[in-house]
Amino acid sequence: MEAQWGQPLNKDSHSAVAVALDAAERHGADGESTRGFKPSWELAAVAALIVIGVLALPWLKPGYRTLSFALTTGVTAIVLYGMAIPFGQAGIMSLGYAGLMGFGAYTAAILSRDFGMNMWQAMPFSAIVAAVFAGLFGLPSLRISGHHFAITTYVMCELLRIVLTNGGKFTGAATGLDLPPIGTVLGINMDKLANAYLLVAVFMLASILVAYLIGRSSYGRTLRSIRENEQLARSVGINTNLHKVVAFMVSGLFAGVGGNLQAYNYRHISPDLYGGSISLNFALMVMLGGARTIFGPLTGAVIVTFLPEVMRIDPVDSRIAYGLALIAVIMLLPGGVIAVTERVYRRLTETVIATRRVGPSHAGSSSARGD
Amino acid sequence: MTVLEVSGIRKQFGGVVALAGIDVTIKSDEILGVIGPNGSGKTTLFNTVCGIYRPDAGRVRWNGEDITAKAAFQIGRLGIGRTFQQAMSFPALSVRENVQIAMEHGSRRGEGAIRPWSSPEELLAFVGLEGFADESANAMPFGNLRRLGIAVALGGRPSQLLLDEPAAGLNEAESAELVQLFRRVHQLGVGVCLIDHHVGMMAELCGNLIVLNFGNKIADGPTDTILRDAKVIEVYLGAQS
Repeated sequence: MEAQWGQPLNKDSHSAVAVALDAAERHGADGESTRGFKPSWELAAVAALIVIGVLALPWLKPGYRTLSFALTTGVTAIVLYGMAIPFGQAGIMSLGYAGLMGFGAYTAAILSRDFGMNMWQAMPFSAIVAAVFAGLFGLPSLRISGHHFAITTYVMCELLRIVLTNGGKFTGAATGLDLPPIGTVLGINMDKLANAYLLVAVFMLASILVAYLIGRSSYGRTLRSIRENEQLARSVGINTNLHKVVAFMVSGLFAGVGGNLQAYNYRHISPDLYGGSISLNFALMVMLGGARTIFGPLTGAVIVTFLPEVMRIDPVDSRIAYGLALIAVIMLLPGGVIAVTERVYRRLTETVIATRRVGPSHAGSSSARGD
Repeated sequence: MTVLEVSGIRKQFGGVVALAGIDVTIKSDEILGVIGPNGSGKTTLFNTVCGIYRPDAGRVRWNGEDITAKAAFQIGRLGIGRTFQQAMSFPALSVRENVQIAMEHGSRRGEGAIRPWSSPEELLAFVGLEGFADESANAMPFGNLRRLGIAVALGGRPSQLLLDEPAAGLNEAESAELVQLFRRVHQLGVGVCLIDHHVGMMAELCGNLIVLNFGNKIADGPTDTILRDAKVIEVYLGAQS
């Protein structure tokens, strides 16, 4: 039998890899958030708004199309919060996340078909299989770094797509696999899109919380030490190799859960959902929002998913728009949209505080005092 | 007291023999200086001891245990702390986080020579960086960055410190302050071994000196004797004046 190679690799996705790698190199070069997530009342307020907004969306009667886009965004954001652990905290960019999500999705589909497992039964397997492969994808990072490592992960992602396309009946080849419906959860019927969206939203909010707790913990600090100075980290007794692989495995858990949810919500998966160019999109989202900020990945996912829709750009043009957006991020917002927003906000509040301290009548000369 | 024993260490980079098979014993009850011209193998000696380079021949023993094949992070956990020639830190992190990282790792078995630091602030005050905890490491002046490097090394509660040119790039006053700091470190019971080119400072601080030249140890002994040694004056001190 002649091997099917799926769709030929897109030439433009190769140049997109190059742009993404340059962006990754400069990403997070500025910004306070580089130090991990500091709790503050502003952060709590934004978090509360996001929780309310995300959970209230179905009651705003958004329409079927918008709601299904929102569901996709939620699934994507789960994967992005995983990706932000090695990339944002440990500073290692991988382009393998669509592939890892694919491991989660195909695990769910195959376990459903061969063992009759439902979504919940398959979820731990999806997470673990993706975590194991995330660790394997991450192994080259012990020898190579930066561009070189990112390219190996991109290639692994493409390899997975080829394997899935040629997997015969086991993977459903180019056609892919079908899944049964989720059914009911706690008595709620998940066939209704609004309910399925809320289920994904709860998982997404949980993954933001987990990412936040990791960033605040001493484990997050250990990962940041690897990002900042690997040699110094080793000299103080940090097993940097082990931590890198574990960080990838933790991020793989997120990707596996995301893949499982995606598979059960789409109810049909195929190799093209998990190729290198999807991984590139993930990288764009994370960098656009800001990998080192707690709301960056979500913001990036929302912008990249909804902007073409809102602005009514067709798919070909939106690829061009992605490219331009990525270049704009490299040039203007190396820390991502959220990092810049934070900085502008801080500057504004500092000005206000300084103005108050001097008194309104001297507001104009407040900066001269330097304080 | 801990003993770091280097025997017959040889390290070659391509055709360059950086260390030609030398023996050195570093005890934690002394302040030991390593001097020698540039390229004489001083930093290579530290990097070989700390597991950054694998020696081509020879052994490194820590209190009798062979640690030659151990990885850099394992040596960090054994209680051998170090600083680097290029004042290293975790640049984008706060000064507090810099020392927290070291305090959360380092000597894990609880065998550290010194009692645990009660807080990052206590350690920062010890090295003279009180009030800097919330600054970014990369926003600090160079002299403070040198101190931070020492604080990070001390955070892991080492019993032996290896300091690679800790006073390089500092002025006289700053170097004099470092001498005081090293004395305080030594009073804690931590061995101090340092490489430096400030001969005045080394003479004041070190009880013993080791002199390297082209990868060979050419002298080893009490500071006064070494500084009057004709061979040492010829290869190193002469060239300095």
